[in-house]
Amino acid sequence: MKIGGVFYCQIRFEPSYSIPISGRKIIMKTNRRHFMKAGMAMSTALLADSALAQDTTLIPSRGPGEMIDSSVTYADRSPFVKDAKMRGSANGLSGGGFTPLQHSRGMVTPSGLHFEVHHSGVPEIDPSEHKLLIHGLVDDEKIFTMEDLLRFPSVSHFHFLECAGNGMGEWMGPRGKTVQQTHGLTSCSEWTGVTLKVLLNELGVRGDAKWLLAEGDDGARMTRSIPLWKAMDDAFLAYAQNGEFLRPEQGFPLRLIVPGFEGNMNVKWIRRLEVGDKPWWTHHENTEYADPRPKDEIRAFSFYMEARSVITSPSGGMKLNGAGFYEISGLGWSGAGTVSKVEISTNDGKTWQDASLQGPVLPKCHTRFTHPWRWDGKETTILSRCTDDTGYTQPTYDEMYKLQGPIGMMHNNAIQKWHVAQDGKITNVR
Amino acid sequence: MFAKHSKIITITAIATSLSFGALYATAQEKYGIGTSVGPDEIAKYDNDIHIDGTGLPEGSGNVALGREIYEYQCALCHGEKLEGIREMGAQTLHEGRRDIKKLPYATSLFDFIRRAMPLTDPGTLSNDEAYGLTAFLLVETGVINDPNLTLDAESVKAIKMPNRDKFIIDPASRFTAKDLEDK
Repeated sequence: MKIGGVFYCQIRFEPSYSIPISGRKIIMKTNRRHFMKAGMAMSTALLADSALAQDTTLIPSRGPGEMIDSSVTYADRSPFVKDAKMRGSANGLSGGGFTPLQHSRGMVTPSGLHFEVHHSGVPEIDPSEHKLLIHGLVDDEKIFTMEDLLRFPSVSHFHFLECAGNGMGEWMGPRGKTVQQTHGLTSCSEWTGVTLKVLLNELGVRGDAKWLLAEGDDGARMTRSIPLWKAMDDAFLAYAQNGEFLRPEQGFPLRLIVPGFEGNMNVKWIRRLEVGDKPWWTHHENTEYADPRPKDEIRAFSFYMEARSVITSPSGGMKLNGAGFYEISGLGWSGAGTVSKVEISTNDGKTWQDASLQGPVLPKCHTRFTHPWRWDGKETTILSRCTDDTGYTQPTYDEMYKLQGPIGMMHNNAIQKWHVAQDGKITNVR
Repeated sequence: MFAKHSKIITITAIATSLSFGALYATAQEKYGIGTSVGPDEIAKYDNDIHIDGTGLPEGSGNVALGREIYEYQCALCHGEKLEGIREMGAQTLHEGRRDIKKLPYATSLFDFIRRAMPLTDPGTLSNDEAYGLTAFLLVETGVINDPNLTLDAESVKAIKMPNRDKFIIDPASRFTAKDLEDK
């Protein structure tokens, strides 16, 4: 893949390899172990002359580590770290991967572990050929290259993205064994890009405009309608995630970020924005992502991912190693605002205590909470509930049933309970 | 109090103009980035169907054509009777999230078929085939009781889906009817 243009050109760095020990390079090429021995003998010889020669605590037990490999230009994890997405796709094109929240720390999800949901696979797009068209009810219809978009003033914001179907399988009863299965379709990143407000002001939005259609450049050309007020409020087109250009599965080279709204609206590989006066009622916004209501009614345009929290540790599939101290740790978030409070119950909801919010506490963003807990070794249930700065508190399943009916599937933000057995085993009782 | 504020604003304005120059002087400043395009260029990208029928193409197709295409290109995943083959990742088109009867607009059905189907070869259906499939699916799911139904731009536009009035803007939702109208 050719990556051209001033913004994508990579800085080529040729390591000089000038090491001030004569013959070292040759030794390296012929016999590395030989060199290592020689090197150690030399340091021992040097130490022998010094007053510290007897102090063996200064000799590291392992000696030097792996030689610096100049062919490795993007660092990988320790081979001991195995955190992985849980993949799932019946046909290889629709589906995606769940984030391993059980091992998450802090509030940011590593880009490589960010959840993904696709409707027609992951396209490979050459950024030098990618273009964005903005047209419709604007004074000046324009097409932008990636280089054009990178010239505009930029913004960076931390935001969670959550699939509207996160926890869909839990409606009818506890299904997932781990928090990855029950809640793994939410992740959090720092996103960098250009605001829709800047772009739309550049084109001049006409007075009758009320909605945008966003279209992706995947095989499905996925489309969603976005209210114009939201676009002008805080939506932006991101080209970077966590300090580097987007990963292909996250929409490289360009994706829409609609903070706090359901993941599906954050259209990846975005190629077109049409400004109109009515919603389009596209496939993904009629029955597909809408919520059933009693009396056969359907709630349309259920965009907000409402306040939700979950204890990520200890969580389903883990086992406590006997009574004693454990830190309860988890994530809270709200698509409508900022997490103002997370409460913890370690006795099945009989009493609640405020958890500590670890910070930074940001709007429409994962917020890490912690709570010190001394487990007495007895069977119990632990749970968390989140309140945001609009005053909304995360509901119970019973409360959600009243609202959604028992077959509600999308937008499940009910309180999650983990059962702690006497032997320390944690299971999902939902 | 106002005097105090205006002083701060003046100082800020001077500081801003000193550090950023004229570029950031006003919010409405155009950056002059991007290329203006006309209808021919836009037509290469613009493929969506509005609910008022704008964008519906020429052509027509009937139930028989739709059934033929369905059997060859759709049934493998969606099942002989639209029941959905789970192993292929397809759910039933008779109920639940993908219930065709419940769609509010037939324009959306035509748009999605033409845009995204078949899964392994999207965008390859002709307009006639997409009209035919729309006709076949509406008859097969009992929305329209006419085995000889033929659809084109005018007739798709005219269909009033039976479930349209069941779509509500829930008062309990943060996204209210007021949002839909006023914003």
